[in-house]
Amino acid sequence: MQSSSRRTFLGICLGGLAAAGAATATWPVIRYLSPRSVEETGGKVSFPESDVPADGAKFFDFRGTTGVVVRTKSGQLVAFSAICTHLGCIVQWEKDKQDFLCPCHAGRYSPDGAVIAGPPPKPLPRLPFSVTNGLITVG
Amino acid sequence: MMIMKRISEWFEVRLGYKELAEKHLTGYLLPRNINAWYSLGSVLLVIFGIQVLTGILLLIYYVPDADKAFRSVTAIMNDVPYGWLIRMCHAVGSNMMVAVLLLHMLSTLFMGSYKSPRELNWLTGFILFNLVLGISLSGYLLPWSQLSFWATTVATNSAGAIPIIGDYLMQFLRGGKLVGPPTLGRFFAAHVALLPLAIAGLIGAHLFLLERIGVSAPPFGLKETKNSWQGDQFRHEDHPGGIPFFPDYLLQDATSIMIYLAVFFSVVFFSPNIFFPVTAFMPADPFRTPAHIKPEWYFLANYQTLKIFPSELLGLMVQGAVMTFLALLPFIDRGKERHPLKRPIFLACFVGGIIIYLGMTIWGHYS
Ligand code: HEM
Ligand code: FES
Repeated sequence: MQSSSRRTFLGICLGGLAAAGAATATWPVIRYLSPRSVEETGGKVSFPESDVPADGAKFFDFRGTTGVVVRTKSGQLVAFSAICTHLGCIVQWEKDKQDFLCPCHAGRYSPDGAVIAGPPPKPLPRLPFSVTNGLITVG
Repeated sequence: MMIMKRISEWFEVRLGYKELAEKHLTGYLLPRNINAWYSLGSVLLVIFGIQVLTGILLLIYYVPDADKAFRSVTAIMNDVPYGWLIRMCHAVGSNMMVAVLLLHMLSTLFMGSYKSPRELNWLTGFILFNLVLGISLSGYLLPWSQLSFWATTVATNSAGAIPIIGDYLMQFLRGGKLVGPPTLGRFFAAHVALLPLAIAGLIGAHLFLLERIGVSAPPFGLKETKNSWQGDQFRHEDHPGGIPFFPDYLLQDATSIMIYLAVFFSVVFFSPNIFFPVTAFMPADPFRTPAHIKPEWYFLANYQTLKIFPSELLGLMVQGAVMTFLALLPFIDRGKERHPLKRPIFLACFVGGIIIYLGMTIWGHYS
């Protein structure tokens, strides 16, 4: 009896230590595996205004997703997230029609992001941007 | 409670796990005079498990490309959250595995447990030891640092001293005349696929033999210390009246594992750089050999042996002879006595061998 209760005590101590150790190890492993957050990858993206062709579009990486800047026929610049709000394909800028087409299920958006046709449930989110000295800064 | 009982009953009637537990845990009896050295095998299983887990985690960010490997390892250390911890555990763990393997081998040697009928346990263990040296050597190249590059150059170079096939063998190992991007490809494949599988397989064989033949009783605290094996037919070595594996010996295993982890994490947290000289932090440069290139501590004795013999071939032959002798020891040493104090010649060789090995290691370190 004496030695069996010592054994139980030792077993509880060792088991507790093992459980605490395993719990402690979980956090570093989760952090190691987690995708990097926005703050870690940097928030803003800059490129020269001349990168955007006349009535064309420029796509770029933005906080781990894809953004697009478009110069419309009227010469105005607009910036959107290029992720289709339906199932997440990347929309294309159609120069001739002056609208966004999502090739996946033929969703269409107007140059100000509103849904014109197809399954997308919401407009494309706008991205804040500024132009200074010929440099476009998004974010 | 009721539901737990029903679930366990559901499994019991299908798998009969209570009988399994009885056979392998509570009814698995070990010799009464068993000692703590017998728990090193469990420690080694844990170390191997940690190497596999941390290795798989490293694979997520490591890039096996000569142009990118060094930068990817640097990024693991500096940018990936807790990447330093994963890498340090892997690198320190590899050194610990060699050290614990040496202790495990020395203990079975000292207690004469390699003797019949356990020749195959020794042999599989000896091969395992060599595979672990191989996986460490191949892993060492992967960070593609100056240290990796030149240590691998020197290590593969010694294969060139073998007559006739040496040159071809060396180029085969390197995948070219010199260490370069092709070497990284083959070492990477060996390190993450071939050798881990081979090691896992041999661990399986090693454990199967242990289970099939039965655990040896240490030769201490017994009146009769002669080997009682008769060799006329197969007999599983039982230990009637012994102590059960569960819970008694499992607690010893767990205690040893905890002590090991304490030592391991002390190194990881307090002196992680003992295994990393400055050359480990410089990217490989095939046009500039750094001064004082030394192998890892467990190859220092081999390194020094190669240096003291006038010809490299002679040095290799001596090492080959020693390794062959050790591999075949149970077939050479057929004496029945197992107590080291009743085997003076063995004891002298045992102690002498350790002293020579340590001496060569220290000499190699300072030479
Ligand atoms: C079984 C025992 C193992 C040992 C002894 C071992 C040993 C080593 C060594 C010595 C290094 C170089 C250490 C460094 O400077 O970082 C290394 C690196 C590496 N190992 Fe292993 N390893 C083992 C298992 C594995 C396994 C199973 C995998 C993956 C499936 C793996 C993946 C890697 C990777 C990706 C690297 C390069 C990253 C780095 O250098 O930190 N290892 N290993
Ligand atoms: S994903 Fe764009 S329309 Fe379906």
